[in-house]
Amino acid sequence: MQKDNLILSIRNLDISFQTNAGAVHAIRGVDLDLHRGETVAIVGESGSGKSVSMKAVMGILDKNSVVNHGEILFTYQENGISKTVDILKMDRKTIRHTINGRHIAMVFQDPMTSLDPTMSVGKQIIEGMMLHEHIGRREALERAVSLLDMVGIPEPEKRIKNYPHQLSGGMRQRVVIAIALACDPDVLICDEPTTALDVTIQAKILELIKKIQADMGISVIYITHDLGVVAKVADYVNVMYAGNIVEKGMIDEIFYDPRHPYTWGLLSAMPDLDTNDERLYAIPGSPPNLMHERPGDAFAPRNIYALNIDDRLMPPMFRVTDTHYAATWLLHENAPKVEMPPELKERILRMKKEAER
Amino acid sequence: MRRYIIKRLLISIGTIFVVILLLFILLQLMPGSPFNDEKLNVDQRAALYEKYGLDQPLIIQFFKYVGNMLRGDFGVSYTISKNTPITQLLQTRLPISLSIGGEAVLLGAVIGLILGIVAAIWHGTVWDTIATIVSVIGVSVPSYVFALALAYVFGYQLNWFPLLYDMKIPLQSSVLPSIALCMFTIASIARFTRSEMLEVLGSDYILLAESKGVYGPKLIVRHVLRNALIPIVTVLAPLIVGLMTGSLVVEKIFSIPGIGSLLVTAIQSNDYNVVIVLSFIYSAMYIGIMLVVDILYGVIDPRIRLSKEGPHD
Amino acid sequence: MTDMQNNAYISFLPGDFELKGAENTKLDMNFASQRFWKEAAMRFRKNKGAVFSLITILLVILLAIFGPMISPYTYQQQNIKQTNWAPRVQGLENLGIFDGSESLKTSTGTKLKNAYVVDKETGAKNDTYYWFGSDALGRDIWTRTWTGTRVSLYIAVVAVLIDMLIGMSYGLISGYFGGRVDSVLQRFAEIINSIPTLVIVTLLMLIMKPGLMTITIALMLTGWIGMSRIARAQMLKLKEQEFVLASHTLGATNFRVIFSEILPNIIGQLITNTMFSIPNAIFTEAFLSFVGLGIPEPMCSLGSLISYAFKSFTTHPFQIVPPVIVLALLMLCFNMLADGLRDALDPKMKEM
Repeated sequence: MQKDNLILSIRNLDISFQTNAGAVHAIRGVDLDLHRGETVAIVGESGSGKSVSMKAVMGILDKNSVVNHGEILFTYQENGISKTVDILKMDRKTIRHTINGRHIAMVFQDPMTSLDPTMSVGKQIIEGMMLHEHIGRREALERAVSLLDMVGIPEPEKRIKNYPHQLSGGMRQRVVIAIALACDPDVLICDEPTTALDVTIQAKILELIKKIQADMGISVIYITHDLGVVAKVADYVNVMYAGNIVEKGMIDEIFYDPRHPYTWGLLSAMPDLDTNDERLYAIPGSPPNLMHERPGDAFAPRNIYALNIDDRLMPPMFRVTDTHYAATWLLHENAPKVEMPPELKERILRMKKEAER
Repeated sequence: MRRYIIKRLLISIGTIFVVILLLFILLQLMPGSPFNDEKLNVDQRAALYEKYGLDQPLIIQFFKYVGNMLRGDFGVSYTISKNTPITQLLQTRLPISLSIGGEAVLLGAVIGLILGIVAAIWHGTVWDTIATIVSVIGVSVPSYVFALALAYVFGYQLNWFPLLYDMKIPLQSSVLPSIALCMFTIASIARFTRSEMLEVLGSDYILLAESKGVYGPKLIVRHVLRNALIPIVTVLAPLIVGLMTGSLVVEKIFSIPGIGSLLVTAIQSNDYNVVIVLSFIYSAMYIGIMLVVDILYGVIDPRIRLSKEGPHD
Repeated sequence: MTDMQNNAYISFLPGDFELKGAENTKLDMNFASQRFWKEAAMRFRKNKGAVFSLITILLVILLAIFGPMISPYTYQQQNIKQTNWAPRVQGLENLGIFDGSESLKTSTGTKLKNAYVVDKETGAKNDTYYWFGSDALGRDIWTRTWTGTRVSLYIAVVAVLIDMLIGMSYGLISGYFGGRVDSVLQRFAEIINSIPTLVIVTLLMLIMKPGLMTITIALMLTGWIGMSRIARAQMLKLKEQEFVLASHTLGATNFRVIFSEILPNIIGQLITNTMFSIPNAIFTEAFLSFVGLGIPEPMCSLGSLISYAFKSFTTHPFQIVPPVIVLALLMLCFNMLADGLRDALDPKMKEM
């Protein structure tokens, strides 16, 4: 991926929340890149900080959040000229006017709660349009109808007047996507867009997003905890744990050659109909309490391959290939040779064979 | 939607019916008869009974009673003002109470809304704390304490407004009582508005609106208020009750000749016909307002206004 | 920390790169599961308003119990020669306040009067003290205020407790039996709810003479509905879970199971609801007494005291102050306490 194709670049993002019980250090130094036309996935358990980092990009962080340091550089075209801004340095009003909806749009997780129940579907779609572009109401509504058509909603002229509660979950999510696409954004951030939907609908929505991406040339960031989704859509994967990115690489690299024990855990935990295994593997323990600052690697307490140094120092990113990096001391030259668990090896072999077919 | 309105209407009518029934039973249970004047002999009493239909079977009396109540033929007062038709007593008093009550509701609602919105938008700042304190005080401190304080400061010491209600200057006389009454309304509405708005502000669809680029007043008015106000309508009914009880006290303090003071006098002098009639009026008002609120709620909230169509995906 | 291979800046210890061994993996002691009540108590303590209210309420209760005892007067003792005397407190009178003097507004101007003065020339005062002053019949307001507080509190607490019991039982039964029983009971409750409290109370006043019992019953009749809704909701929710289990077990009445499941779930809301209902009850009683439908003389409650003092409002305003302050304090504090309890027992996690 060439450097000039880089449209979003997050560097060293560090965010805390002030709560009644203390400060929660939610994001602890995140680096992330997005290139034009790419689909990047951010994978991790709940509480790993996936949504928070993207909320920072959108400028919709909660009021009690503090950005300790970092920069979010976004490059876009305005009147034919290329502009690069640091979103963290902008005030909310400017972000709303220039970025939100226009260049970066977001699809939220729960379609049942993300639409305003007192506003018709059509009005919600054109709201962004009327804000950002100089078009008349009628023209906007026409565009809304074609958007609804594009996202696969039958009888769009009738649906324009409907209220959210009159639509099913899958339809509502399509409407949310239509809203996001209303102003032709450059980047689409999807925060677990299919988690709240039935499995059958999930596949359709994913296909829809893929199709839109191909047609409109949008770059997409997927936030998900489901590796199955990642396998279907992503070009590049970032694995997050406890506010850090612990491994990142091209999709083949992550799935066929994972290096971080956490990624091993995630891959092993994917339910798979083909295993003869009787046990369903799950990573022991639960995600750490982000109010506690623990020296060293945050994953160490749950990591059966932890080294003593993991209790002292946090591992830096080690290079596996030009595109593949993992933050684990196991990749240090002094580290013992540790291989992924045999069941995982088997599974990966099986996956490879499947893919070749 | 239509089904919703009809259902509510039927329930309201049914409830009023039950209320009248209860009142009727009570009336029958009252010791003595309307004409328990020892000066009457048996024949005279029998003649009077026949004249007023009191010798007929209870069921018939009941239906007559229902008819009378609904028509506004309330009978006469027995002790407060012997044999005066109650409607006459009500003629002057009802409008006074209604006007003061109405002023209190309007004033209270407007101020309360503003306070609540301010508290929610500037949540966590000084304004929020101030608004919350005012609300808590308004809800906890009884209206008559306010009335007393207002009467003392503005009526007695400063002499800006009359201490006692004067029929000749109804507008001025109603200022202090309205303010005293509306404190509770202000506080309740402010509190509720604040909490509803805060809840809406934390919801997903506000986040989505922001991610579209909606900001500032447009966000507040179109998205937040529109959603937060719906449940506030439901607070109106208990508020009316609060006003009813408050009015009794306020009327006593400022010597207002309204239906509140009439009720008190009636109870004290055992004029149960008046009491029953006033009970009916209060109940009817309350039930009526609840019905209006219910219908209003149905109109405002599109989820109730439009029936759900089947899923199509 | 994303620098690659910058080992040169990091000093390594011997043994760094040895496996800790799977046995050493300690599962993170995360959110140490504290007991529900401990957490709730912690949250409550942080709410300064609620804590302050709790302390104030306890103070008031203490004064209500001991106030009349430490006073030389009883609540009905009258002294016709000492009517409408202003407050006079030993010790404080030397500071110039509460020294028995009051300013009277007359047509000629304000006049300073002190009823305790025996000798007009020397200004020497007699030996009597009325801490809150005396009323129109020469009764000590201090004693009467605290006695009245006792009565008001008693009525409120009794009424509310019985309300909670009735409400809980009503709701549990309605939810337990479900079906037709539930519909009927709910309709009935709805109808009662549609009649304003005022009406029910006045009708009751009509049937029974005003008095302590009457007021208590009046309060009881109207406050139970809220609690019954909560209890019913819980019962309905648990019916789904428990009865499925029940059909597999002995099939005996699962009353005990239900109670051990439901009670813990509603106790939080029970307490909160109770705390909210108490100021309501106090207010209703005070209001009734104020309009003259409450406690008969010489017994006193806060409301009747206010009502009585109202008559001399313009001439001796000090008389109305103590009961009004106590009443306002009680209501304010119970409301804040209830607010604090509700937040402590059922927090809305908005910060995360």
